[in-house]
Amino acid sequence: MMIKFLTQLGRYFLLLKKVFAKPEKHSIYYKQTMREFVFLGLNSIGIVTIISFFMGAVITLQTAYNTENPIYPAYLIGLGCRDSIILEFSSTVAALILAGKVGSSIASEIGTMRVTEQIDALEIMGVNSASYLILPKIIATVLFNPVLTLISITVGIFGGWIAGTLSGVITSEDFIYGIQYSFIPYYITYSMIKTVFFAFIITSVSAFQGYYVDGGSLEVGRASTKAVVFSSVLILLFNVILTQLLLS
Amino acid sequence: MINVKNLNKSFNGNIILNDISVIFEAGKTNLIIGMSGSGKTVLLKSIVGLHDIDSGEIWYENILFNKLAFADRKEILSEMGMLFQGSALFDSLTAEQNVRFPLDMFTDKPIEEKNDRVNFCLNRVNIINANKLFPSELSGGMKKRVAIARAIALNPKYLFCDEPNSGLDPITAILIDALIKELTEEYSMTTIVNTHDMNSVMEIGEKIIYISEGEKCWEGDKNEILNSDCKKLNDFVFANSLAKKLRPKIK
Repeated sequence: MMIKFLTQLGRYFLLLKKVFAKPEKHSIYYKQTMREFVFLGLNSIGIVTIISFFMGAVITLQTAYNTENPIYPAYLIGLGCRDSIILEFSSTVAALILAGKVGSSIASEIGTMRVTEQIDALEIMGVNSASYLILPKIIATVLFNPVLTLISITVGIFGGWIAGTLSGVITSEDFIYGIQYSFIPYYITYSMIKTVFFAFIITSVSAFQGYYVDGGSLEVGRASTKAVVFSSVLILLFNVILTQLLLS
Repeated sequence: MINVKNLNKSFNGNIILNDISVIFEAGKTNLIIGMSGSGKTVLLKSIVGLHDIDSGEIWYENILFNKLAFADRKEILSEMGMLFQGSALFDSLTAEQNVRFPLDMFTDKPIEEKNDRVNFCLNRVNIINANKLFPSELSGGMKKRVAIARAIALNPKYLFCDEPNSGLDPITAILIDALIKELTEEYSMTTIVNTHDMNSVMEIGEKIIYISEGEKCWEGDKNEILNSDCKKLNDFVFANSLAKKLRPKIK
């Protein structure tokens, strides 16, 4: 078990070494990166927006439900919504959702290329297939996921405001006062740092699972599942480590 | 010319290729034949460097290929073209983008020149009005032809074909065989074709090696194959009922 784990870890780092080798032709990699911005970034805006909206709404309603005591000022609901979204939900929960969407897509795309010999075709041309296929995805997600997180924070807080005011648990003035109250800008930096780490984990782990698929379509499906599971577990693990390092 | 010397290859202790030595000649279609699972594809993939071999030597002209690092192999790799069993066209690219890919990656030619080369290669393999189609929109035979066009885009010295006829009807298979032979002669390439199709053997087999259970059992050409004394080869060549009936007349 331990040997298998260490073997896989070794293969993962060897793959990363290949991924970060000097690209054959920058213009081709640039085009690929732009393509990945669309597939992995822009195409994720929809799901991130929907999830964030409802996440913000539920956080507001639950905070209101748990702070019904009159000694708590109403604006705490807005403050709680803001901090929960910035510190945890928009980075970690959104990353977990993206691990499902983007991670499985990367693993199945690269896995299918492996079993249909497209990766062999690249290698025989003298192309560093690991770098060509994976590096643009890593660059795209590492650069674009912070944008997704900012969108998530904005939409989440907006969802909280809509839910809070429409349900009548808080007035618009109190909510807006709450989200401005005692704001610490470093929280945004913390969230961005986490997002970058999570983006790297999602892309590299999923690509690793796809790149080493051996067999047929069944194995591609398994690799896709493994990509989501391993990415999610690593996101949660690094969430703890980064939180301890950045907030202690 | 490609010279393979004493090649051995195993996977997890299972010996797949045992002491294979053969010279593949330039300007000829060299065939590797054998039953499914005999080690043909492993041999071909070992020759092109997709599999690391356990021992032996693979010489491309006077360069010992298997001892080169990946970065040092690029010069020889740029002289190779390969047609895979399932075509291996890039799904996200159209037919012409597939053919253009090696040109974009390894040349700095102007766009017009690249377009001319793409059109020339597609026309050469008789792909007409399908330049903008994606692989999923092409028939099996068209996919093979686009893959051949991609393989010859950079004017390779070496062409490798892994079961080029698999999944094709007999007439399309003959067309693909003829195309491979024509291109080999036209560009004086060293072509190696993996096949278990006896039609291909009789059409284009200028040099043939027969592999059985990972060992080279026979070497010759299409004129000699029907009169061989090798029992394993004869079992393979005269496997189907029509061949069995015709065998006494051939002898």
